[in-house]
Amino acid sequence: MEIIKWLQFLIGAVLLLLGLGIFTVEMIGVYRFHYVLNRMHAAAMGDTLGIGFCLVGLIVMNGLNLTSLKLFLVVAFLWFSSPTSSHLIARLEVTTDTEKEKHYREVPLAELEKEMEERKADSSVEAEDFLTQEGSAGKEPRENLGQEA
Amino acid sequence: MGEGVPGLASAYTILFTAALIFLAILLVLCLIRAIIGPRVADRLVAVNMMGTIVMVIIAILALMLQEGYLVDICLIYAMISFLAVIVLTKVYMGVYLERQNHADGKEQENGDN
Repeated sequence: MEIIKWLQFLIGAVLLLLGLGIFTVEMIGVYRFHYVLNRMHAAAMGDTLGIGFCLVGLIVMNGLNLTSLKLFLVVAFLWFSSPTSSHLIARLEVTTDTEKEKHYREVPLAELEKEMEERKADSSVEAEDFLTQEGSAGKEPRENLGQEA
Repeated sequence: MGEGVPGLASAYTILFTAALIFLAILLVLCLIRAIIGPRVADRLVAVNMMGTIVMVIIAILALMLQEGYLVDICLIYAMISFLAVIVLTKVYMGVYLERQNHADGKEQENGDN
């Protein structure tokens, strides 16, 4: 019986610490991105996955009773409320942004489709070239990419 | 937590205390983000994150103090923070659009004159 209780503690602790790790990643992301719509990616992660891991860990520690059901209800409520509030904040940002060109560019859908079709037509030729020369030429572009970054 | 098993109660206390201290540090970082965030949406995202972290803190305290009713407060907190975000976005958007309409109206008047 003692072993089961220790096992319960260990599994719960691992899940809780995973949740705390995801909160840490969220905080790093929020500080490192430079624009709200990018930061929102990091923030939404903690709202769903972070609190999900933490509360599932607490449920495992607590065992099955009414408190665990309430903890699960909190997670289930956040699954619905977090995307909704993210959507509202994003819409607020897009509506009130006065210097859009600085932050992102808007592309009409028709133009984007045309661009993608052109790229597809080009890439079918390029892909064949790439397949035939994969062994030697495959490494070069990657090195160039690394230097640019 | 963990009564009747030697060592388990202190293990629970250590784990919960460490988690609470860590979450408090994250909460302060969130507050700093809310203060320096250059745009309104930045502050709203930060406040939303603070709400999430406070919910985890309340849930941990509910287990640590063995008070089940604290989880009800956690549930209510989730609903109220969701409501706060909805109301704040609606208010800011309304104020912005009203101001824009006002500015457009003035420009039209000037054009007529």
